[in-house]
Amino acid sequence: MRLLLVEDSERLQRSLSVGLGTQGFAIDQAFDGEQALSFLAVNEYDAVVLDLMLPKLDGLSVLSRMRSQGNDCQVLILSANDQTEDRVRGLDLGADDYLVKPFAFDELVSRLRALDRRSSGVKNPLIEVEGIIIDSVSRQVSYQGQHIALTPHEYGLLEFLSTRRGRVYSHDQLIDKLYDANTYVSRNAVEAHVSSLRKRLKQSGAPPLVKTRRGFGYLVE
Amino acid sequence: MYSIRNRISFSIIISMVVILLVMAFLLYFRVVEQVQNVFDQSIYDKAQALISLTELDEEGLEFDFAEDGVMPEYVDGPDLQYYQLWQTQQQELIRSPSLGDHSLPSDGVALGQHRLADLQLVDGRAGRLIEIGFMPRVEMEDDEDEPDDAYPRPVAQPITMVVARERESLDCTLGIVAWSIFALNALLIIVAVTLIWKLIGVGLAPLSRLAHQVGQIDESCLGVRIEHSGRPSKEIAPIERQLNHLLQRLQSAFEREKRFSSNVAHELRTPLSELRTLAEVGQMVDDDPQQIHAFFNDVGAVSAQMEKIVVTLLELTRSEAGLLCNDPEDIVLHTYCDSVWDQAINGSATDKLLVNEVPEDLVVHSDRDKLRIILSNLFTNAVCYSPDFARVGIRVSETGGRLALEVRNATTNLKPEDVLHMRDRFWRKDQAQDQGGHSGLGLTLVDALAHIMKMDIDFNLDEQGTLLVRISGLQPVAAAG
Repeated sequence: MRLLLVEDSERLQRSLSVGLGTQGFAIDQAFDGEQALSFLAVNEYDAVVLDLMLPKLDGLSVLSRMRSQGNDCQVLILSANDQTEDRVRGLDLGADDYLVKPFAFDELVSRLRALDRRSSGVKNPLIEVEGIIIDSVSRQVSYQGQHIALTPHEYGLLEFLSTRRGRVYSHDQLIDKLYDANTYVSRNAVEAHVSSLRKRLKQSGAPPLVKTRRGFGYLVE
Repeated sequence: MYSIRNRISFSIIISMVVILLVMAFLLYFRVVEQVQNVFDQSIYDKAQALISLTELDEEGLEFDFAEDGVMPEYVDGPDLQYYQLWQTQQQELIRSPSLGDHSLPSDGVALGQHRLADLQLVDGRAGRLIEIGFMPRVEMEDDEDEPDDAYPRPVAQPITMVVARERESLDCTLGIVAWSIFALNALLIIVAVTLIWKLIGVGLAPLSRLAHQVGQIDESCLGVRIEHSGRPSKEIAPIERQLNHLLQRLQSAFEREKRFSSNVAHELRTPLSELRTLAEVGQMVDDDPQQIHAFFNDVGAVSAQMEKIVVTLLELTRSEAGLLCNDPEDIVLHTYCDSVWDQAINGSATDKLLVNEVPEDLVVHSDRDKLRIILSNLFTNAVCYSPDFARVGIRVSETGGRLALEVRNATTNLKPEDVLHMRDRFWRKDQAQDQGGHSGLGLTLVDALAHIMKMDIDFNLDEQGTLLVRISGLQPVAAAG
C-alpha cells in the first residue's frame, strides 16, 4: 500500500515513516501543502495521511484541490484539531477518516488498512484465495494451518494482488503501488519478488497463486 | 427567594389600609361629633323653649309649657320626652307627666351654665339630658289704673331644669354612618388591592421579560443579546445595556479562554504525538541502534520544546497573577546585548549579524533577567524570520525624554496587519508547526514582562518590510539616581 504522508513535523515524519515502513507501507513524505500537491500530481497513492496545519498551503486546501482535480484516493486527516467542527469540515471536504493527535500508532495502521480494504472492496481482513489465508492484520500467510514465511515485499505483493483479484498489474504499476518514490526498484526486482513468492508458496504445498499474463503483467485469479 | 412584586404590593397595600383606616376613624369621629352637636343643640333649643315658657309674676312661677295640649310629647306618645325643674336641689317645682313617679338626675349647675349627659330613661331607653341653670323671666301685668308699686315686684330665684329625650335615633344614625364608612373603606381596600397588584404587575412586566431573557442565557449561547420589546424604559434600558456589555465581555473572555485552551492543547498535541509515535515505533525497531539513537535525540528535542512552552506559559501566568516583580540593577547595555545575542543564537545562524550601536558606556537600571528574556526572544525571532545574511540592528534612541532600545531587522513575509497580532498568544505568521520551536508565546511574554518593568513595547513594520521593535522606558543610571 503506497502512502503519501503530509506532515510538517520532521520528527513525526521520521518516526511514522519508519513505523509504517515496517508495516509494509510504501511512504512518500511531503512537508508542506505545495509539496503534497506536487507528489499527488505525479504519483498514484492508495492513501494520503494529511496534517491540517501545514506551511504554504493548509491541509484542507490540499484536500479540496485533490478532490476538485478528481483525485479520489483515500485521505486520512491526522490533526491536533480535536473540535467537532474541524472533523466535520475535514470529512465534508472529502476526507475518509480523521484521527486526532496524539494517537496510537497501531490505531493509525489499522485505520489505514481499513481504508485500503474499503477501496479494494474487501471487507474481511482475512483473505482466502484457493486455501491460502492472508491475515492482513498480523500480516501472516498460512496454507492448511501451516505458516508460510514471506518477506515484507513478498507479503505486500501477495496481499495487493489478492485484494484485487482478477485485475492485471504491470511491473510499473506494481512498482508504483508497492514502493515509495525514493526507492529505486527495477522490473527485474519485481520479477525476482514474484518468483521468490511463487517458490515459497510451492515449498509450502500451496497452489501457484500469482499468474503471469505475458506482455501485460501479473494477477491473482 | 422573595418576590419584588409581592413585596412592593404588600408594602403599598399595608400602607394604604393603614391610611384608609386612620382616615375612616377620623371621618367617623368627626361625623359623630357633628351629629351629636346637632342632637345636643336640639335638646338645648328645646330646653331654651321651656325656659322661655317659664315666667315669674306677682302670683309666682308659671310654667306655660305644662298646660294641656301645649307640649304633648312630655305627656305621652311614642316619642316621650321628659323635664323636671327645681328651685333648689331640694325643692322640686314641676316635672313632666311622662316621668310619673321617677325623677331625672341632677348634679346641679351654676346659673347660666348647662351640662349634657347620657342617661337611661325611665322607660329603659338610652337617653340624653341637658341640665341648665337659669333665672325665670319676671312678667308684671301692665295695669294703667294701678300705680307701678301697687304690688311688690317678685324676686326671682335660680331654677335648675333637666330636659331629657331618647337618643336611639342618634345612635342609629351614628351606626349607619359607622357601617357606611366601614363598607366604603372595605370596598376601597378591595379595589385598591386589585389595582395595585395589577398595576405593579404591569409595571414590572419589562423586568419579568428581562429576567426571562436572562434566564435563557447559558454558556452555549453567549452570543445572544437582550432585546427590549416595546418602548425602552428609563429604568430597564440601562440594565439591558449593561447586561449586553457584560455578555459581550463574557463572550469575549469565554472565547479567549476557549481559544487559549484550544491553542495550548494544540501546541502540546503535536509534540505529544511525536513522543508517542517515537516510543511506539522505537519498540518496533529495537534491533536498529542507529534508528533508536536518532529517536532518542528526537525525544530530547520534543521534550525541550514542550518544556519551553510550559515554562513560557508559567511565566505568563505568573506575570498575569502579579507574582513577578521588577528587580532592577545596573547593566552595561552594550556588552549585555552582545552576551544575550550569543546565548540566543547559541552557535547557530552564523549568517546573521548583530550590529550593536548601543553606546559602550551606557549603563541602564533594569531587571537583568527579564530584560534578557525580552531581548532573547526578539533576537531569536529576528534570526528565524529574517532573510539569509540579514543584519539585526540594535541601538538606543531618545524620544520625549524617554530612553528606548530599538531592535531592527528585515523580515521575509510579514505584513503590516500582522503587527497587530504579534502580542496575541500562540500567534504565528504561519500557524503550521514551527520547525524553529516557536510556539507563538514569545512576544506575549515580552509584552507582559515589559509591562511589569514599566516599559512600553512598540512594533512597527515599514514599507521595505523592516520590523522595528522599540522598548521605551529604559532608565539610564544617572536618571535612576
